[in-house]
Amino acid sequence: MYPANIEDYQRPASLQEAVAILRGYEPGDAIFMAGGQSVMQAMKSRMVRPRCVVDLQAIAELKGITVDEGLRIGAMTRYVEIAGAGEISSANAALRDAARHVGDRQVRNRGTIGGSCCWNYVASCMPAVTLGLGAAFHLLDAQGKTRVVNAGDFFLGPLETARTDHEVLTHLVFDAAPRTGSAYRKWGLVTDALPVVGVCMKVSLDAAGRCSAARMSLSGLPAGAQRVQAGEKALLGSDGSRESVARAMEAVVDAVECHTDKWADANYRQQLIRTLGQEVAATAFARARGEA
Amino acid sequence: MSANPDNQKSWMGTRLPRKEDLRLITGQGKYVADIVLPGMLHAVFVRSDYAHARLVSVDVSAALEAPGVVAVITGEEMKTQCRSLRQPVLLPNLPAKYPTYYGLAVDKVKFHGDPVAMVIARDKYQAVDAAELVVVDYEELPVVLDPEAALAPDSPRVHEEEADNLMFEMTFTGGATDEDRAKNAAEVERIFQSADVVVKERFRVHRTGTTPMETRGVLADWSASDGLTVYNTTQRPHIDRLAFADILDIPAEKVRVIAPRDMGGGFGLKAPFYRESVVVAYACRKLGRPVRWIESRYESLMNIGQERGQINTLEVAASKEGKLLALRNRGIADVGTGQIGVYWGFVMPFLGAVEMPNAYTWEAGDTDLRVIFTNKACLTPSRAFGHFPTRFAVERAVDIVARKIGMEPSDLRRRNLVPRLPYTSVTGEYYDSGDFLKVWDNLMSQVDLPGFRREQAEARAQGKYLGIGFGCGVELSGVASELMVPMENQPGYGAATVRIDPRGKVFIMGGDAPGGQGHETTISQIVAATFGISPEDTIITTGDTGTTPFGSGTIGARMGSYFASAVRKACDELREKMTHVLAHDLGIRATMEEFAFTDGEIVYQRDPSKRKGFREIAERIVMFPINLPEGEVGGLETTAFFEAAKPMICFNADACVVEVELATGQFKVLRWLTSEDVGNVINPMIVDGQMHGAIVQGLSNAIFEEFIYNDQGQQMTADFEHYKLATAADMPDIKVTYASTPCPHTPLGTRGIGEGRPSAVPGALCNALVDALVPFGIEITELPIRPSVLWQKLKAAGAV
Amino acid sequence: MKTIRVTINRERYEETVPERMLLVDFIREKCGLTGTHVACTYEGVCGACTVQLDGEAIKSCMMLAVQADGHAVTTVEGLASGTELTPLQQAFKAHHGLQCGFCTPGILMNMSEFLEKNPDPTDEEIRHGLVGNLCRCTGYVHIVDAVRAAAAQMRRGG
Repeated sequence: MYPANIEDYQRPASLQEAVAILRGYEPGDAIFMAGGQSVMQAMKSRMVRPRCVVDLQAIAELKGITVDEGLRIGAMTRYVEIAGAGEISSANAALRDAARHVGDRQVRNRGTIGGSCCWNYVASCMPAVTLGLGAAFHLLDAQGKTRVVNAGDFFLGPLETARTDHEVLTHLVFDAAPRTGSAYRKWGLVTDALPVVGVCMKVSLDAAGRCSAARMSLSGLPAGAQRVQAGEKALLGSDGSRESVARAMEAVVDAVECHTDKWADANYRQQLIRTLGQEVAATAFARARGEA
Repeated sequence: MSANPDNQKSWMGTRLPRKEDLRLITGQGKYVADIVLPGMLHAVFVRSDYAHARLVSVDVSAALEAPGVVAVITGEEMKTQCRSLRQPVLLPNLPAKYPTYYGLAVDKVKFHGDPVAMVIARDKYQAVDAAELVVVDYEELPVVLDPEAALAPDSPRVHEEEADNLMFEMTFTGGATDEDRAKNAAEVERIFQSADVVVKERFRVHRTGTTPMETRGVLADWSASDGLTVYNTTQRPHIDRLAFADILDIPAEKVRVIAPRDMGGGFGLKAPFYRESVVVAYACRKLGRPVRWIESRYESLMNIGQERGQINTLEVAASKEGKLLALRNRGIADVGTGQIGVYWGFVMPFLGAVEMPNAYTWEAGDTDLRVIFTNKACLTPSRAFGHFPTRFAVERAVDIVARKIGMEPSDLRRRNLVPRLPYTSVTGEYYDSGDFLKVWDNLMSQVDLPGFRREQAEARAQGKYLGIGFGCGVELSGVASELMVPMENQPGYGAATVRIDPRGKVFIMGGDAPGGQGHETTISQIVAATFGISPEDTIITTGDTGTTPFGSGTIGARMGSYFASAVRKACDELREKMTHVLAHDLGIRATMEEFAFTDGEIVYQRDPSKRKGFREIAERIVMFPINLPEGEVGGLETTAFFEAAKPMICFNADACVVEVELATGQFKVLRWLTSEDVGNVINPMIVDGQMHGAIVQGLSNAIFEEFIYNDQGQQMTADFEHYKLATAADMPDIKVTYASTPCPHTPLGTRGIGEGRPSAVPGALCNALVDALVPFGIEITELPIRPSVLWQKLKAAGAV
Repeated sequence: MKTIRVTINRERYEETVPERMLLVDFIREKCGLTGTHVACTYEGVCGACTVQLDGEAIKSCMMLAVQADGHAVTTVEGLASGTELTPLQQAFKAHHGLQCGFCTPGILMNMSEFLEKNPDPTDEEIRHGLVGNLCRCTGYVHIVDAVRAAAAQMRRGG
């Protein structure tokens, strides 16, 4: 409805200033505001009652997409920018797949990749996609120290990440290996709803067109974003045929725990994992081959 | 799009852009939340966290100390300072258990969201802060959630003063005495015994509704001299006025209710008289200051707008040639607490049971209904009032019969449609006029069923599953007094005051209260057509009890039937007077019929040189009332009332095409086509829009929306993340076509339309899904129908 | 409390507001621009409060007013210049793209930005663009008609 009382609002112009403000508060009392599309829900329902809001909008270095050795995306880069980013190559195209279908136009005009990852809501797309792509999360603390956390270590379960309250996520770095393609797709009851389940897949192909490396992750399950190594292993050597993908997705279904809720029974979620898996595999393999 | 020239005939049936739109597309609309009065306070309700609990104590001391807080009202205060909502003006004339309840809960909370206290503060943020400080001590009680289990003798009771949880029961067929009914039941049983085909299914429809985008809002203002003025999001301000007076013990002439001209949708949700309004009005009088409450979406989804919620165990007997013979239904409605003024939650399933036979010529029927209290929010009216579930059951059952005997469901429908009207259904509902077969044949002429069957077979061969589904619906066109008086203790007639000012402008006052249906435009078209003037020369006022004649409200498709007819009648009375005076002035003897009202003039048709401007004759009668015909006095204003001799109906038929993906059960509605009898159309663009909206509400209800309670009776779907409305991307394009028959019982041949329209949707949709999956023989008997449900059925049938 | 400067519909506002005040309340209550509506609680799903922030459609209930300090907001009141309606507004009227009108301002603010970026959209793209705006009256059919017609009109230079 309306947020609980907020004592202070700060809009630092630099990263150093941002982390310095947080030093003055007990953990949890001051929060960073990126696009706010999740945090505002939590503040309005009063699940979160910060004393201070530190708005990151003015920090230029948090924004933007650059391609150097890999792909670097600033934490404050918005979905709308990712959705239209031609510089994102096949290896990381799953980012575009996800960003194009997060929420709605208005959400995509505000919401950011960093905000979504740091919030790590159980039914959200970006945590699973960054995990599936094996992103490196770059954090900065109040002492000016930086550290890099791999996606696998960054997400610690729903609403939990490796980021401490006194750190700010500055950017994410993604490999952009050749002959690699990725894709993401989710299913929700209505168009572009939060994922009941979503599948992200990244495959690298050898000269013969067979899968030489794979990563796979899921969104929407109670555990939150999760990587499924059993599926990845099963995909090795695959040429992307329906049969080989079906085997891999069966390994995924066997490896993860699906739940029943009002949107879908556990066995239906499993079926969605199978069918979404086929769709993302077709796209990811095609992208890796340079066909899409 | 430009309007036609001022020509008497052309305004009727014209796609005139709406008069309402300019203000609404420029942000100048004035909805209740946009009205601010000096010194206005803000109210927030504290609501029960439990579905059923004893209220041990309500401690408001901390809240009273909070910044900005002016007062906190509790149930005890409401009970001692006001009357209950169980007032005669709000009680139907049907035998039921009517619980006594107050503005706020007293002693016990009976559903999750039951209002316990109301906090009033100078600032709305502060009001929410203080509401968190109200400490309520609850002693939990066992919850009653399953309506069938609630009938067990040892079930806890929702209302302890009542002997059991059975709120209402009724048999709708067979006559007035037990003996007659027993005889009828035996006859129906005989038909079933000898029928070639018998179908029996338990059809369950979940709780869902129509959820207007604007939530409720109440702004009450008190003046020692003028009394109480309430700006209320209501579809029936005149009833609200009487209810406020009786509950707050204020003389009725000191109460004025204003439904704001701009209301963000109603669909039935804003038709009841609500308890929150009482508390706001009471607080306003107590404090002598304006108090406003704007309902949050959370409160709205938790408290109101939950309809449908029925189980109908329906049996149908038919001959092998496809003649429907008899239906037998045992209906159960899960009414919740039954605490909503005017409707008490059971009036909707009551009417739903009446409307069950639909457009078919059953030879006999044996139907009854039991309405059962539970610890849930009370059912609230929602468009397709009560008969969304019964229509779903019948339309599905008809298809099941057709398949059993190997007949096209569309052929079976046509064969059993009532061939000639008037007709009285087996439940006693009167169908006044129209031509069902014409509507049906218009639909089928656009379908090309043999072509579709070929396309379907070819698609199936390629693993693509297409299906076609049909449905139809007889809907009420307004609600006649003969039904309104027993059902809602209110009249059904339409009323309109028409006043012509000295400048020839026409003011129309109606006691109804629209919420987006375009009354300003359609009424202006009727008035323009009647007087030969421009719609721009009309000014319509609705919703204000201080300035409008008594009206039962914008409910039950009363616009095109009752309100429009009253307006026409009032205009005719003024035409009579104007032509009487004009004939006198012209020195001729002529009747009204000999004059034409056209292009802003009144013309004597036998000698068109004898004419006068509409404005001139208006000015002459209003301003210069001398040398009038004998017995005539000045002034041009009248109030007319319209009541048809019998209830009236409209009729529609639907066809839709779906595609189902076997692997996931996901489906898409590819096409939706309708055929409508809406009588003479005033504005086809507006009628199209009503149909589009109703069909999408029906689809959204059937597929996405569902109010879910957990095992403790907690409402789990009180926000739009969990109560899913269809988005534009989820819905099909819709083609609306017409095969109308003018209504012989209204002066303009018009019918009221749109209210019941969603009811044909769930049956048609599910019939199409079943049709697509005929190779696997699945059936659908429950809503919502979702991909996950369909997939489970496909899996069970071995299709995947 | 913070003092903020926000330009709304080309008019500058300087107001002192509580940090927690939502942008939508600032627009409606501080600035008196009540064309922007609220139809959900905390979830930010309905889109009725959609305005443009520096030319982009956003939900004003999902932002604090203080976050808009230094920015330019356009609300439905700022669409028409004087009495001249935009092609989109005209199309909503001509095609009956609204009934109760409660969701309409949000839809206009979203679709006017959408059409700038997608001057020749397909129906599917229009429908996808509308996902963030719930409408309960129209069934969306006439809304899609109106947006399509406005796009055509704008391409013709109108």
